[in-house]
Amino acid sequence: MARPAFRKVDRSEETGGPRLVHLDRDRPLVDAARADPAQFDALYRKYLAQVYSYAFYELGDRHEAEDATERTFLAALANLPRFEERARPMDGEGASTFKVWLFTIARNVVAERRRRRRRRPETTLDTVADLAAPLDLEADAARRDEGRAALRAVSRLTGDRRRAVVLRFVDEMSTAEIAGIMGRSEGSVRVLIHRALRNVARDLGEDRE
Amino acid sequence: MTLSGGRDAAEIEALIADRYLESLLTAHGAGADGTPAPAELDPRLRAVADRLARDLPRLHPSFRFEEALAARLAGAGLARTLPVAAGGEGSVVSMRLPADDAERAALAAYVDIVALDDDPEGDPMRPLLIGGAALTSAALSLAGAAWVAWRWRRPAGSPMVRAVRAVARGRLD
Repeated sequence: MARPAFRKVDRSEETGGPRLVHLDRDRPLVDAARADPAQFDALYRKYLAQVYSYAFYELGDRHEAEDATERTFLAALANLPRFEERARPMDGEGASTFKVWLFTIARNVVAERRRRRRRRPETTLDTVADLAAPLDLEADAARRDEGRAALRAVSRLTGDRRRAVVLRFVDEMSTAEIAGIMGRSEGSVRVLIHRALRNVARDLGEDRE
Repeated sequence: MTLSGGRDAAEIEALIADRYLESLLTAHGAGADGTPAPAELDPRLRAVADRLARDLPRLHPSFRFEEALAARLAGAGLARTLPVAAGGEGSVVSMRLPADDAERAALAAYVDIVALDDDPEGDPMRPLLIGGAALTSAALSLAGAAWVAWRWRRPAGSPMVRAVRAVARGRLD
């Protein structure tokens, strides 16, 4: 059964009085898509780039990333009636449990593809470089070099550290959202990212030496 | 090493780094280059965080792929709504065929006639009308119209029927 769209939250200690917090910012879009599957297009356009980026960083291949993206959205559309909103007031106004749910599907799809491949992902840096339009060749080359080095360092991270860094920096998700997707506590995700940053710092430092 | 509150140094450092990342990514989203870092944060970590936020590419699939998948999703969405609208609850309706070949031929013009392997009454052919309520009624109507039209043209077998038709024609003329 659908829950009320707004919920009264006692934040008197912070703001001096109760205020209303939107539980899930995607609720109107999700409700519209449930009523009419054609409206799923809005959710698709909103999260396409993020899901694709995640799949690309995980699989390192444009075609595989496209395939994983396609499977993710088709599965999301098929299972939308079963989606349950679970945003908590403490997640804040920008929380989207739909996004967490969608990325959980993406994570499973990517994991299935990786299992099938049975090999370590090889990031195709040339493909990434091709995406940039070289308006300023010198600046673009420098930016590309920086991007390649960062990408290489991230791709060398172990599975969960890499995933957490990509979700944090590329998909710009909160620690709470990443914790929801990865099935970990927020503290555990924070430590994971912290260790990953140390690894990348060491790696990039070695690159420069 | 354990510090106050039961948290070890790594956890506290992770918390500080997380708070910095939160403000850094918010600033990045707003188009700003950076944000002030807390003094407790390791400068190397701050530098790496700044670099990853700035240099890791955000990717987008090709326009062609985006539109192709949008079309596929629209098709899948349509398929989810069609069963209700067009009788997707559909059923198979079997009808006994007339023994006469001409009558069968008339029916065959309007419905598909297929053989049933497990026909219990030995009748080798029956028309099957497959679909929901809308499709089935439409097919039944067509079959009925065909049967009436054929029956009207076909000379009746019994003398009584022929006599009744002759009287009817005479009245109409």
